[in-house]
Amino acid sequence: MTALERVASARRTLGVAVGVRAVLSGGAAAAALLAVAGILDWLIGIPRAARALAIPSAILLALAALAYTLWRGRKVRALPVVALWLEERVPELRYALVSALDAPHSSPTLEREVAAVQWSPVINRALGHALVPPLLVLAASATLLFALPAGVRARISEPRAGDALLRAPILAAPMRNRLTPLTGEVVPPSYTGEHHIIMEEPSSIEALTGGHLVLRGQGSASGITATVAGVAAQPRDSADQWRVDIVVPAKPAALELRDRSYSRTLIIAPHADSLPVVTLSAPTRDTVVRTPKGALRLGADATDDYGLDAGWFEYIVSSGEGETFTFKSGVIHRVDAGNARATKLSGELDLDSLQLKPGDLVHVRAVARDRNNVTGPGIGVSETRTLRVPRASEYDSIAIEGAPPPDVDSSQLSQRMLIILTEKLEARRTKLARADVVKESQAIGSDEARLRQHVGEIVFARLGAQQGTEDAGSNNAGPAHMTPDQLLAAANAATQASAGATDFGGDETPVVAVNRPLLEAYNAMWDASRALEVGEPGTALPPMRIALAAIQRARNAERLYLRGKSPTVIVDINKVRLAGKRDDATSSSRLPRAVLDSSSERRAERFDAALNDLAVNSSAAIDSLLALRVDALEPAPALAAALAPAIDSLRAGHNATDALVRARRIAAGVTVARIESAWGGAW
Amino acid sequence: MSTFTFATAQYDSGDWDSAPLVPPNIIDTIARYTEIEVTPTGAIVSLASPDLLRYPLVYLTGHLPVRFSDAERKQLREFLDRGGMLFVDDHNHDVDGVFHKTATEEITRTIGEPKELPNNHPLYAAFFKFTDGPPTTSHELNGWGDNLVHKNLFAVMREGRISVLYSSKDYSSEWGYHPDTKRFQSVDNTKFAVNIVVYALTA
Repeated sequence: MTALERVASARRTLGVAVGVRAVLSGGAAAAALLAVAGILDWLIGIPRAARALAIPSAILLALAALAYTLWRGRKVRALPVVALWLEERVPELRYALVSALDAPHSSPTLEREVAAVQWSPVINRALGHALVPPLLVLAASATLLFALPAGVRARISEPRAGDALLRAPILAAPMRNRLTPLTGEVVPPSYTGEHHIIMEEPSSIEALTGGHLVLRGQGSASGITATVAGVAAQPRDSADQWRVDIVVPAKPAALELRDRSYSRTLIIAPHADSLPVVTLSAPTRDTVVRTPKGALRLGADATDDYGLDAGWFEYIVSSGEGETFTFKSGVIHRVDAGNARATKLSGELDLDSLQLKPGDLVHVRAVARDRNNVTGPGIGVSETRTLRVPRASEYDSIAIEGAPPPDVDSSQLSQRMLIILTEKLEARRTKLARADVVKESQAIGSDEARLRQHVGEIVFARLGAQQGTEDAGSNNAGPAHMTPDQLLAAANAATQASAGATDFGGDETPVVAVNRPLLEAYNAMWDASRALEVGEPGTALPPMRIALAAIQRARNAERLYLRGKSPTVIVDINKVRLAGKRDDATSSSRLPRAVLDSSSERRAERFDAALNDLAVNSSAAIDSLLALRVDALEPAPALAAALAPAIDSLRAGHNATDALVRARRIAAGVTVARIESAWGGAW
Repeated sequence: MSTFTFATAQYDSGDWDSAPLVPPNIIDTIARYTEIEVTPTGAIVSLASPDLLRYPLVYLTGHLPVRFSDAERKQLREFLDRGGMLFVDDHNHDVDGVFHKTATEEITRTIGEPKELPNNHPLYAAFFKFTDGPPTTSHELNGWGDNLVHKNLFAVMREGRISVLYSSKDYSSEWGYHPDTKRFQSVDNTKFAVNIVVYALTA
């Protein structure tokens, strides 16, 4: 082997050594960084965000060490440099290697001199110096890493939410507060398809009503208690941890955890699954259709926060006038939304099939239902569009003067009330003594008789009778055309005729024909009165219902309820100002504002007590304010909202004065000025 | 103190304008018995409009089925949350009518179920004294005896204060006449409206 060949061999060996050293240095730097991070996390705990940087930082450091080592050893690639390096460490060479490299032709003398020198011990020492230190650092760091608790290694290698519980406690179990660290896992209802959410050290947990909340801590469950809104929840052991499972309530609640003298309060702030939002796109506005033929195009968009189950259109057709309406409804174009968060509904409403008549109204709306099978389902509806079929007489109508209902309306209402009273009595009849049933029945019968008498008066008046009652008719001159006996006979005839024929035959007068429904009612009322008088409310009900139906048919009120701008009446304030008699008015004794109600007063007292505690025990005061906020979330949302920033400021150690002042004013019932308020000084 | 404006709620469904003479009649009554500064005409405000918040008291009536839109429900809830008072009167004076069923359903859905208001509630002494509770209407009485009268109003309470006042007594018919004809009445039947307004402004 020539001198050059030997130098080349040494260069290869040194080159490999540089490469191995670079790899070892990179590994050692990475392992050392991870070991240091692990030790620090074990001792003092490192935030998850910082731990998440450990692995990338270790890789970067390893690459940097690798690159630096390679850069430092870069000269090993040059043969003269290797020759000089050998000459420097092996003086016996006396520059023979350099001379051999410089000479264009090999000299036997030089070759002999070089061949006589062995430099392998120098190479071996150099390898040792280069490889042993990084190898030692790597071994020590790896040893440290494996010596750390497994949980700490997991926290460094795979930091994730909730891994606070993996950090091995330093204090012995009896000394430890098992409520810290604490993790909360929110498990949404399965229908939502949402992922679990894990929180560390939660103070307030927002979750969907009906979902589950799992709280976990280190150690055994023995001795730990949990209460949610005063109701106990049972913690249990799970491996080397304790856990408590809670169903998210519908209302805000405070979760109180206790471990011996330690306690911890959390707020559970539930939010409900929103109802689907449905927007009707067609028809776009209310409309009037003179000839209701063809089809009405329907369109709607429905969205939901978690997913829709189905959507459809509903219609209601109201027919009638005045206060007598009949309704029929239906569901059309139902579609399965397939858990989509948004869907479109479309279809047509066949107007021909509805057989609409003048005066009818068709109300259309779109409906969507979500997949909430826990607290729902939630059903959202769109705005309602109205399609009106006008009456021929409406075209010139502009307004109708308000007026009390006609007598027939009043009779109809009273008859309905009497039916309700009779139905109630019939329902209670088995529980009452017979004498009581008869007494109450007769009282209703008395009212029924008076009502019948009133109906008789209406008929008399229409038939041209003088003012008075049906009885007066027999004493005085009587009705111009009929006597009461004739009236009763006509009523009987009307009742009998109603079963079949549609009008009267024979010698019936047109006036009787017009009033036939009232005469039917009159006759049915007789039957009802008789049954009520003998204490048989059940027997009285059928004729009472017949009377009600007959009175409804007799209604002659013609009210039109036009949509649009109302007629404007301007009151002459100065003219009427204080013109009324105020003898029984009590305004002077009223105070501008009433004192706080008892619950508000209690909240104000609790707030004051918490403020007093602030100087002595801020932690307890914050807990008190937290508890007050929970209690105020529903009955006093303004106070609850004002307390939130105050609590946050106190916890963060910031100045909470402004927030507390604002909360105090609300607690005391003092009006709080809000710049964004839209109350425009209306009073 | 700013001027009080009596507002009538306009809603998308039903016939919100079925009692157009009630607002001027109540305005006349407010001026007649109190020193409250009141505008000579009422206002019509959409339930879905942010303008709703400009009025402390809003009157809602009708005969037909009531279905609030999402926007109306949201705005009404905001109105009530911020201290407004809604007075709902069933113009059907009908114990099982469609307005009653749908309106109470919508109120329940929006803010809560209306509960019977005791007849000794401060509302009945807010200005005039009504020792027997809400005054009866001629549509209830008709001479058929007290047991046929709706004895109570209903209300949704918020922190001890009436938030929604619901009436089945049909004051909309009882007060639905031109204020100029009031001088022919021996007893003014609109006095209870003063109590409602005064309560809304001061409670």
